[in-house]
Amino acid sequence: MPERVSHGFWFAAWRRYRRKPLAMAALVFVCFLIGVAILAPAIAGTKPVLCRYKGQIYAPCLSYFDRRLEPAIFVKDRFRGTYPQNLREKDPESWAIWPLVFQDPYRAVRDNEWPGRPANPTKDEGHPNRFNLFGTDQYGVDVLAKMVHGTTVALAVGFVSMGLAGTIGIVVGALGGYFGGWIDMLLSRVTEVVMCIPTLVLILALVAFVDKPTIWKTMAIIGATGWTGIARLARGEFLRLRSSEFVLAARSAGAGPLRIMLRHILPNALAPVLVPITFGIASAILTESALSFLGFGSPPPSASWGALLNDARSNLSMWWLVAFPGIAIFLTVLAYNLIGEGLQEATDPRLRESRK
Amino acid sequence: MLNYMLRRLAIGLLTLLIITGVIYGLARSMPGTPLTVALGETDPSRKLNPADLERMKMAYGLDKPWYQAYFLWLGNVAQGDLGRSISRKQPVTTLIGERIGPTLALSATALLLTWAMAVPLGLYASARSGMPDERATSFLLYVLYSFPTFVAALFLQIIFAVWLRGTPWELPLFGMTGDLVDPSWAARLADVARHAILPVLCQTYVSLAWYSRFIHSTMEEVVRQDYIRTARAKGAGPWRVLFHHAFRNTLIPLVTLLGLSLPSLLGGSVIIEQIFTWPGMGRLFFESIRERDYPTIMGLTLLFSVLTLAGQLLADLLYCVVDPRVSVE
Repeated sequence: MPERVSHGFWFAAWRRYRRKPLAMAALVFVCFLIGVAILAPAIAGTKPVLCRYKGQIYAPCLSYFDRRLEPAIFVKDRFRGTYPQNLREKDPESWAIWPLVFQDPYRAVRDNEWPGRPANPTKDEGHPNRFNLFGTDQYGVDVLAKMVHGTTVALAVGFVSMGLAGTIGIVVGALGGYFGGWIDMLLSRVTEVVMCIPTLVLILALVAFVDKPTIWKTMAIIGATGWTGIARLARGEFLRLRSSEFVLAARSAGAGPLRIMLRHILPNALAPVLVPITFGIASAILTESALSFLGFGSPPPSASWGALLNDARSNLSMWWLVAFPGIAIFLTVLAYNLIGEGLQEATDPRLRESRK
Repeated sequence: MLNYMLRRLAIGLLTLLIITGVIYGLARSMPGTPLTVALGETDPSRKLNPADLERMKMAYGLDKPWYQAYFLWLGNVAQGDLGRSISRKQPVTTLIGERIGPTLALSATALLLTWAMAVPLGLYASARSGMPDERATSFLLYVLYSFPTFVAALFLQIIFAVWLRGTPWELPLFGMTGDLVDPSWAARLADVARHAILPVLCQTYVSLAWYSRFIHSTMEEVVRQDYIRTARAKGAGPWRVLFHHAFRNTLIPLVTLLGLSLPSLLGGSVIIEQIFTWPGMGRLFFESIRERDYPTIMGLTLLFSVLTLAGQLLADLLYCVVDPRVSVE
């Protein structure tokens, strides 16, 4: 007789999740986006991924992540961002591995900067073409490069803001649900008040309030306003589980409240809370791109997909400025919604039994 | 009942105090004042000299710290005075009165269209649950639900205002009215309707997807109940079970939803009104934040919060009406 192995809850949930083709496709898509975000400078850029210059190996492409990572020697030798020609002229012995697409997210590529590549077209000449697959914006900056580098923003917005919202929501919900009494009363009132403030009102007021909006501040604001639903759900779960037998057992074994909440209740309450967090990621991405679209987002250097759409508003004849970033936002939001749905079906026992 | 209403009212008033206090503090802490933002940003030479600025600050009550000004504002509100807009030189109530009509025209049309389509769609989906056509419809609705409104609005603008320019299908890009040679009321109405098509379409599709999914999922839960099995067992036909036994029981969550949609009905959508430059409440709010027009920001915040609270109360009361088992006590 074969031995029956009892798998854990998350393993069983993963097995059920894997059976849903749409949810799996969405997960693969998000992984693809993570890959694009990490490899962005190697996909589109004008700085070599790796190069050998005057006997040393450098990775100038890292400066796309942070300007301070630009190797000092290239600043000293006055490269000014144009690598191909300078490398050839200043060190004939040099070699370099270039990004897949020679286009920069922050400036237009000039004529013959790369052998055989003409200058980027500007204004409404910039139809998608052989050199600019997604076209160029009115200043001639490549849309594909902007989008590839904007992936980081789109992903970070989701993870950072919902990480924050999830933490606040779980802490508030856990304290209220576990202790009850006046703590619960107070925290529930606070949650209700935050819920009553129209979200966009609060976000617009907060964004206008912070002096210099950066993408991190926007994320913090979205997170600080989006925790109410999570808190309510977490409160309900903690309220339900605190009177369960395993909590009683833990308490009689001498566990303190913090230990009970973290080690005993939280793992059991995590699955239902994870679902609204996933949906929250989708709506956080939507909110960020809507804010950038309205001109309330972070200033130009960080290329968010919503900011690209904002450029399109005044140039409606340039359809490619709407189509590609718009579809990117849509697909990302759809993917997170599908993952949330899949997660819900895989972890919610009520939905599972009814499927049979 | 009276006791319950009084308690809700007390809690509601407290909530209102906290919300308006927070927003007042935030609004006053935004960099710039209505006086400097309006003049200084466009042309540095038109900046006010410090003495004039002080005088104007005095005149508008901006010289006091925000917590003092907040209580002054609160006192005026208690007497029914929302104050005068600083940037528009008009009473806030007049401004809101002007903007509420256009917003209502958009959102009421969208809400009616949504309900008229969402209920049949949701019922259809539950009647054909699991069939290939239902799966296709549901997936399509899901896709629509994830489609950002501002992207859809831009696509629609490109199609109807740019690509179809010069054809009979061309629709106006923005605004609520165009230049009319013939100002008869019928022509004016037709003009407004033509301008409203795209914004209404944008507002409808997202809520349509959301509502019909909601109806479908509540139906899914209801059809698993014992009384549905009983109805089937006693020989009721599938349509009778669907309408008579199942749908009636989904009305409870639906009615709650109706109450909760009250704030968006009058509050409008900032994004859609901004894209289509529709002169409604959402756009007024957006502009007043840009202009640091504190009285207007506060008037609108107060209105939005009152509507949200009233919507919640309405939802709870309606809940008791449709479900006799629930009582407010």
